[in-house]
Amino acid sequence: MTESERYKHIKKLKDMIISCSGIGDCRIGFRPTVGRFGVCPSYEHSPGFEPYHARGKLRVLYGILEGTLEPSEELARIFFQCPTCGSCHAICHQSYDENINWFICNYIDHTKAWEAFRADLVEMGLAMPRHKELIQSIEENHNPYFEKHEDRIKWLSGRQFPEKADTLYYMGCTEPYRLPEYAQKMVEILDASGIEYTIAHPDEWCCGSIALRTGHLKIAKELAEHNVEAIQKKGVKNVVIHCAGCYRTFVKDYPEILGKELPFKVYHATEFFLDLVNQGKLKLTKNINKKLSYHDPCHIGRAAEIYEPPRELLKKIPGIELVELKRNRENAWCCGAGGGVKSAFPELAVEIAQDRIKEAEEIGVNTIVTACPFCVRNLRDSAQSLKKNEFNVIDILDLVTDAIEK
Amino acid sequence: MDLLKTIKEIVGPDYVSDADFIRQSYGKGIAGGLIEKRPDYVVRPHSVEEISEILKVANKEKIPIIPRGGGAGLLDGVLPPKEGGIVLDMTGMDEILDFNEDNLTVTVQCGITWAQLNTFLMERGYYTGSLGPGSGMSAVIGGGLSHHSVGGGGAAKYGAVTRHCVGLKVVLANGDIITTGSGASKYIKEPFSRWGLGPDLTSIFLGDQGIMGIKVEATLLIYPKPKYRSYRTFMIKRKAPKVVSKILLDYRKAGDLGIYDAFWLPDLSVAAGLGLIVSEFTVFKLWKEVNPKGKDVFFYTCEAESEEELEQNVKKLNELALQNKGVEMFGPEIEDGNIAKWHYEKNGHWQIYHGFWGAAGRGSIPQTAEHHIPIHQIPQMMDALSKWESENQDLLMKAGPAIHGLGSALLCDHTTVEMDSGLIVFNKPEFREINEKLWKSNLEMVVRSGGMPYMAGMRYSRALIDAGAFSDPYYNFLKAVKYALDPNGIISPGKFYLGGKE
Repeated sequence: MTESERYKHIKKLKDMIISCSGIGDCRIGFRPTVGRFGVCPSYEHSPGFEPYHARGKLRVLYGILEGTLEPSEELARIFFQCPTCGSCHAICHQSYDENINWFICNYIDHTKAWEAFRADLVEMGLAMPRHKELIQSIEENHNPYFEKHEDRIKWLSGRQFPEKADTLYYMGCTEPYRLPEYAQKMVEILDASGIEYTIAHPDEWCCGSIALRTGHLKIAKELAEHNVEAIQKKGVKNVVIHCAGCYRTFVKDYPEILGKELPFKVYHATEFFLDLVNQGKLKLTKNINKKLSYHDPCHIGRAAEIYEPPRELLKKIPGIELVELKRNRENAWCCGAGGGVKSAFPELAVEIAQDRIKEAEEIGVNTIVTACPFCVRNLRDSAQSLKKNEFNVIDILDLVTDAIEK
Repeated sequence: MDLLKTIKEIVGPDYVSDADFIRQSYGKGIAGGLIEKRPDYVVRPHSVEEISEILKVANKEKIPIIPRGGGAGLLDGVLPPKEGGIVLDMTGMDEILDFNEDNLTVTVQCGITWAQLNTFLMERGYYTGSLGPGSGMSAVIGGGLSHHSVGGGGAAKYGAVTRHCVGLKVVLANGDIITTGSGASKYIKEPFSRWGLGPDLTSIFLGDQGIMGIKVEATLLIYPKPKYRSYRTFMIKRKAPKVVSKILLDYRKAGDLGIYDAFWLPDLSVAAGLGLIVSEFTVFKLWKEVNPKGKDVFFYTCEAESEEELEQNVKKLNELALQNKGVEMFGPEIEDGNIAKWHYEKNGHWQIYHGFWGAAGRGSIPQTAEHHIPIHQIPQMMDALSKWESENQDLLMKAGPAIHGLGSALLCDHTTVEMDSGLIVFNKPEFREINEKLWKSNLEMVVRSGGMPYMAGMRYSRALIDAGAFSDPYYNFLKAVKYALDPNGIISPGKFYLGGKE
């Protein structure tokens, strides 16, 4: 690697990195008026030195750009322990809302900076070993789970889909390989609405979220190019995605990676189903007598600002009592699974999710509903680690399928 | 002596580090563009006893100790004077130890943030009155008490935070642990006052810039949060320094009008805000419509226990403002341009002005010269700032250009006003030398013009000495107190040119 290639990803963000004014709200900001209680989940579960939260990370990147610091394995581990939840971005004076984000100030996109540095670390041979394995699996199998590509639709038991349709269900990897019941529920709901839809298999590959979050940009680009082309071939207008990570990657990252707008509209399942309910195509009539709280997944929440559709959809289900968690919407506490943390630092991911379980219990709720298979898995692992057998972690798909008029 | 091994034995291996990237991240203040000074070690203690043990070692070995809270100070208060030493990161000590409703006090560890504490208190109907510094979301109690903080809200009603501290637990340089205020008596179980057991020795550690000892616990008075609030915003079309000065003094002379905060945003700040309009931001959007030339803006918040009291006070406060020529009032709602209401009800904190720090352009940062003066001296100080700016125009241009002026001013204790003046400079290596020169000159100018540093840190405390503010007998007295408590000068060395090898 030549000198000019070193840190090429963070060099592009130099203006942003040196602009941190260093107030440090990204450590543990509380702002009750707007529902903000704490900021950084990885900091809260760390020894607490500065580089464990955003200000310290930016200072470290500054040092690297100035040539006063060299990356090390220890430093890399700290950067890879961040679930890239974007909470620091949401509270930062220089990015937290339109009021402060002035054009002559320098806007800081924190997660973009972390991901850029991860890409530099990967190119310097400092990737996390587990991430390298996952990437290898994606290259070999088109999924990070070391599963055979053809098994992506095993749960469909040979069902056939039309060659072309206006709508396509992009299933991602986690649901078909690890939580197939949710892939089945997606199909069940789409079937119940009576719309014609198809899937991209065998040409559906991993969306590349894991590659992007863990600094493997080259493969992420290849995956983006492949998936967009494969979906385009199906002649679809709408793509519906339930996996929050895939959704964010499609709507936020693909246009940036590919340098162009996508040739189809992408909907998160909660947005899409809410539309179907409002159009009368999907009827949710069965009473579900449940008190629960909605956990905002970071990938559709802070990353894509889908806060209300899941809540609206829940309100369409008879008998649901929705009690908001103290930290919700842009102030939501991350489950801890994102950014490659679940795979490389599983214990940390579970510890962070325990905060969320306790937060629900504090308001007398023993069911968390979310809209992301990653959050479901990690929150369930966490409830189990706390030996909370009576605590339920479900997905909004569970409630919708139960409420469908059959 | 293997210092790292010794400290590990005291705090545990996870809470001390000599890693270069950790030391680097503690080696810059908020004025991040200036010279970096890495400590040798960073330690995150979790008990008073751990701190005591660390100080015993440091005192014996004559190792500098730099206590650090939220790291939100603007004048390098948390940096070593040169490379080396131990930074004590106090943020691991953030417990609320005693919430005492019978005594209306709260005792906390000094590493808790003002926002964490006030969130806890407000959920129970109380607050600390003065809510800490403007950076109170990240700034901690210990730093606020060291800096005599204002700006986080409530300064007009309650004054600086130091007024409400009734006792401290402090670790001295030799490792001794003392309790000040009424807690100094072993027969008094609940701290409630600073006076009565001899001289007020708590005050030695208040506003001390962290040089006298390590504050580990503090007891603060708490107050019931009034139920009613009102906010109004005014445009000042002419002679703003004189008009603001008159309005604020009239408010004070009118007795208790329940005024909680009063802010002045000079035309420089308003113009910056107007230049940065985004369509969604209704306050600035309206300002653009009704205040297109970016005239000065003044706003207040007042509190009351009843609607009648509030109405009466608002009427009086508005009259006192509007009796001045060229003063116009915005409507009562956020949509009408009432930024005061926006601060409290939408933004949730007095922190908008931090956004101005980037106002000079990409990569710009603040080099503050915030100071206190009596209200009636606002016009003279504004003249002094203008004069300095004219004299340093060439240098300012060479620095990027850097911007100089007053960002905001707020009413504090009695007739004190905090003037948020200073520089906005570019955080680039090529400007560092010139930035240093400008900052030093600017701070000394404020001192010579009668300004009293708000937070002093390393920079202002030295500017006081460099500008010859202290008489020899006074400076000798300060030294005598410092070295009586810290004979080896290990705690926060360098401030006021005290301690260390200087």
